[in-house]
Amino acid sequence: MSLWVDKYRPRTLDELHYHDQLSARLRSLAASGDFPHILFYGPSGAGKKTRIMCTLRELYGPGVEKLRIDQRVFVTPSNRKLDVNVVQSNYHIELTPSDVGMYDRVVIQDILKEIAQTQQVDLNAKQRFKVVIINEADALTRDAQAALRRTMEKYMNNMRLILCAGSTSKIIAPIRSRCLLVRVAAPTDDEMSKVLHHVAKKERFHLPDPASDAIISSSSGNLRKALLVFEAMKMQRPDLSGDLDVAKPDWETYCGKVADAILSEQSAQKLLEIRGKLYELLSHCIPPTVVMKTISERLVEKVDDEVKKQIVHWTAYYELRMRVGSKKIFHLEAFVAKIMMVYKNYTLMGMMDDIDMF
Amino acid sequence: MDVDEESSEESDDYEDDDSKDEPPKKSKGKAAPKKTPPPKKSPAKKLATKKDLKNEETEKTENVKFEKPNYHAVAAARAAGPKFAGSKEIPEGEPDCLAGLTFVFTGELDSLGRDEASELVKRYGGKVTGAPSSKTSYVVLGENAGPKKLETIKKNNIKTLNEDQFLDLIRNRGAGEVDDKTLKARAKAEQEIMKQAAELEAREKAEESARKRKEKALSGTGIASKKIPPLSSQLWTTKYAPQNIKEICGNKAPVERLGVWLNDWQKNYKSGFKKPGKDGMGIYRAVLISGPPGIGKTTSAHLMAKMAGYNPIELNASDARSKKLVENGTNIDNTSLDGFFAGKGVQSTTAIGDLRVDSRTCLIMDEVDGMSAGDRGGVGALNALIKKTRIPMILICNDRTLQKMKPLQSTTFNMTFKRPGPAEIRSRLMSIIFKEKMKIPANVLDELVKGANSDIRQVLNMLSTFKLGKTDMDFDEGKQLLKMNEKNMLLTPFTIIERLTGPYAFSKTNKETLNDKMELYFHDFGMVPLFMEEHYLKTAPAGLGSYAGQEKDLKHLELVSKAADSISDGDLVDRMIRGSEQHWSLLPLHAVTSTVKPAYFTYGPMRSQGGPGSGFWGPSFPQWLGQNSKQTKLQRLLTDIQIRMRLRVSGSRQEIRETYMPLLATKLVMPLIDDGTDAIEDVISVMDEYYLGKEDWDAFVELGVDTMKDDLITKKIPSATKSAFTKQYNKSDHPIAFHKGDMFASAKKKIADVGPAPDNEDVFEEDEAPPDDEESVKGEDPDEEVNDVSKDKLIKAVAAKGKAKSKVGAGAGKKK
Repeated sequence: MSLWVDKYRPRTLDELHYHDQLSARLRSLAASGDFPHILFYGPSGAGKKTRIMCTLRELYGPGVEKLRIDQRVFVTPSNRKLDVNVVQSNYHIELTPSDVGMYDRVVIQDILKEIAQTQQVDLNAKQRFKVVIINEADALTRDAQAALRRTMEKYMNNMRLILCAGSTSKIIAPIRSRCLLVRVAAPTDDEMSKVLHHVAKKERFHLPDPASDAIISSSSGNLRKALLVFEAMKMQRPDLSGDLDVAKPDWETYCGKVADAILSEQSAQKLLEIRGKLYELLSHCIPPTVVMKTISERLVEKVDDEVKKQIVHWTAYYELRMRVGSKKIFHLEAFVAKIMMVYKNYTLMGMMDDIDMF
Repeated sequence: MDVDEESSEESDDYEDDDSKDEPPKKSKGKAAPKKTPPPKKSPAKKLATKKDLKNEETEKTENVKFEKPNYHAVAAARAAGPKFAGSKEIPEGEPDCLAGLTFVFTGELDSLGRDEASELVKRYGGKVTGAPSSKTSYVVLGENAGPKKLETIKKNNIKTLNEDQFLDLIRNRGAGEVDDKTLKARAKAEQEIMKQAAELEAREKAEESARKRKEKALSGTGIASKKIPPLSSQLWTTKYAPQNIKEICGNKAPVERLGVWLNDWQKNYKSGFKKPGKDGMGIYRAVLISGPPGIGKTTSAHLMAKMAGYNPIELNASDARSKKLVENGTNIDNTSLDGFFAGKGVQSTTAIGDLRVDSRTCLIMDEVDGMSAGDRGGVGALNALIKKTRIPMILICNDRTLQKMKPLQSTTFNMTFKRPGPAEIRSRLMSIIFKEKMKIPANVLDELVKGANSDIRQVLNMLSTFKLGKTDMDFDEGKQLLKMNEKNMLLTPFTIIERLTGPYAFSKTNKETLNDKMELYFHDFGMVPLFMEEHYLKTAPAGLGSYAGQEKDLKHLELVSKAADSISDGDLVDRMIRGSEQHWSLLPLHAVTSTVKPAYFTYGPMRSQGGPGSGFWGPSFPQWLGQNSKQTKLQRLLTDIQIRMRLRVSGSRQEIRETYMPLLATKLVMPLIDDGTDAIEDVISVMDEYYLGKEDWDAFVELGVDTMKDDLITKKIPSATKSAFTKQYNKSDHPIAFHKGDMFASAKKKIADVGPAPDNEDVFEEDEAPPDDEESVKGEDPDEEVNDVSKDKLIKAVAAKGKAKSKVGAGAGKKK
């Protein structure tokens, strides 16, 4: 009953469908015996984790797939207890320090060092070093990244790091220079359709091209999303024919409703109402940037060309502030207020010149 | 307004006796002719304005036909403030030009708010009352005046003014034009004050000479005694502490009862506190006085004890009052003979500090609610003490509703002191002021008392400080002094927000500076910005006054957007303050961006929340706090889900939420809605596949929004299905991704608590073997259990097999 996306996940480098060159390089790296620290980066759903696991398998054999999860409890200097989930096999350990927010430095200092200071116990292991995977490396605070620097050099004998990040821009230069950077680009449409057809073949049905195109266009390079959408579509319409509208996730429809509310009426009262909706989205773990982006996209779809420019401008303006600031809702609200004002001004006066962009 | 205009307009509603005679009071005559015709504001000014125009004189109306006033409309209009706020110039009048006059405001004025207007009156020595009566000198009528008030006005023949006339009155009336009656009253009051002051003076002299004598005597004996400070160097609060009942301001009734109780105490003691007596106080050994600070609780207690012939001993928060000390240190058993043998001036042995305890002692426990950490068991011990005391005890606290004061409720008589009104304090304060040779008008003093919340102590302290620099005070100085002393009071964010965004917070008459506004933020700089953020959308900004229609809406949006931008700026500053950089010196900037600026843009009366009848008008508590903790909670749940699914899924938390959950919902939740109980098997197998437990399923539902919102979903699933689902899920074993650290800890504890093992044994057996399952499944269960912990690939196969079998088994079971 696994979802397709998990069921047909490639397990070895050979099974990977695209980026063959990259696979070959990873294979030779694993074989060389001199495995470097690696920083995998690329958009989500491109296959970073899959490739990491495949590489590990290449390094250690199937043993790396025997995963177990531990929960470590440690105490911060301010006496707060924090749980960190650690996923590990006999040969590697996977951490997500950003789970604990601003305390990630403690995780790096305590747990990582502890792992790094012990040698590989399993004498039969193919490699003398262990591998530590750090997820969401771009969400690490600067302090945590700084704490990582020295560890990376000092314990090179015992440990190799694999960092996994969305982009390298938030990773400090010293770390970048200590890693081999591996970019995992999002699959092209052809590559995606190859994968989709592969899955269809395994599931023993035929995937018509229009359906495949619809899926690919709606998933914007995210293969994970594509496969999930594919399965959802197959569940809705087993024959995959006719008018295929891809079901939107709950949060996306809700963001759409917010956008519609903005356009339906522009007033403080409405803004108050929208505030409630925004709070709901945020509290239900939808990242604020996603919320803002989705709303903005929806708005742009519906307004006149002249306003589009403004909307995009203000979205960018407030997104930056949101990333810098700490209380996201304040910026979201300011964004909505600004859009309301711009739009109202446009509908009343039809001119946009008197609102300055700064 | 001109006379002819008046006469033309009076036609519809009223019939006047057209004789435009001069108003009986001379002041009016002076004011009326000089006034300039003010511009008529708008045609919207109707009924009420017309009324003002003509009723300088008696209105003899036959048809005062009013629609029943809609309370909410009136309240809303009042909250909305004046229509053309600040449109008229506020005149600068002679000081005390309204002295002796009593004003009543009714209806809405054009440019002045009610508060502003009454402050004006007070500034010039006038008095403002709520309802018109025969003693009212003028009624200032505005739009939509209350029908009841109009009736009274008519009946009592009171002079009325409109707003412009009112302002002219201030502008033109000479200083201190007072009629005889007021003069007489004033003279009488003055005499009284002089008498009291003389009394004070005499007393002071007597005390001073007594002190001198004593000092002389002591210096002769050579005993190195403490020097008694001269009276003039004492604090005013001690110097002018009341010496008899008459001098206690306010709370006459409770003070008298206290005296009666003290007088009867010995009698009641003899009768064993059985007879309640006239006022029911006879059964109590102790009295608990409660009330706000500075209204004379301690003073009254001391005074009454002394007057009843007791020797009061006071213990307050500065003394340690732990259980032991309370029990040993106080002579409540009244057994000590110390007092009899000790000569005057000799330190007794059972004394606390240098207080003597003898037979006629009254114990005053001050600041009982301050008994805390250091005074372990204090209140309990005190209560035990009360039950067996042989001397009267007076307990004093500020708030007797506190939890820790509960034990005292039943053993003490509760006596509440209220804040005395300005009138009750006035004469006493005036005589003190007179004695100190200061000159402070009564209206200023009243403001001081009101501003200090009737805290006599604070007023006295303020005055004594003020005297160091100046001896006379005018209205503005009084306000200033109040403001200076106000800082010591911590305001709650609710009041702060009301003051920041109130209808006149930034109006022309408001004299607060930017610094004052920022000061408000510093009362509680953690909460105030959150309150501001919550509140700024809920006002009807005063800046919109002259706009209308669509333009008004646009302007409103513009203001709101500016405020929101400023709040957003504030958050960026906040990040610099509280982030890794810790720039705490930026707090003032944060004050401006997060609080003052948004308040400036959006200040104005509250808009009604959800239409009339919703009742609540004040600022509300910021949602942010609740929403933030909700977010933290859901984030934790999501992390739990993610880490469980991690064995199958590579995605991060966000990926799980954004892409997996919508699809998984169709496999985990929708089937239960669509197919009911039939779908349970499938749902459970999907859950097992991803190591999700029942709690995770609940969390999963809770994380949904829009059409997947949790309450919608739970409503859609029939309760029968829900309970069947829970039952079915609990019946079988499920793979577990990992055990939480704390789960072990709590489980262990429980077992230890339960004690003997057999119980657990039973439970385990039941858990392990669902009654109708086949052997094969049973055999595999422990296997599964063991292997699940290590989670290897092989086990997955086994688990799947087990599942398959159990499904078959279930099917077989059904067939049976």
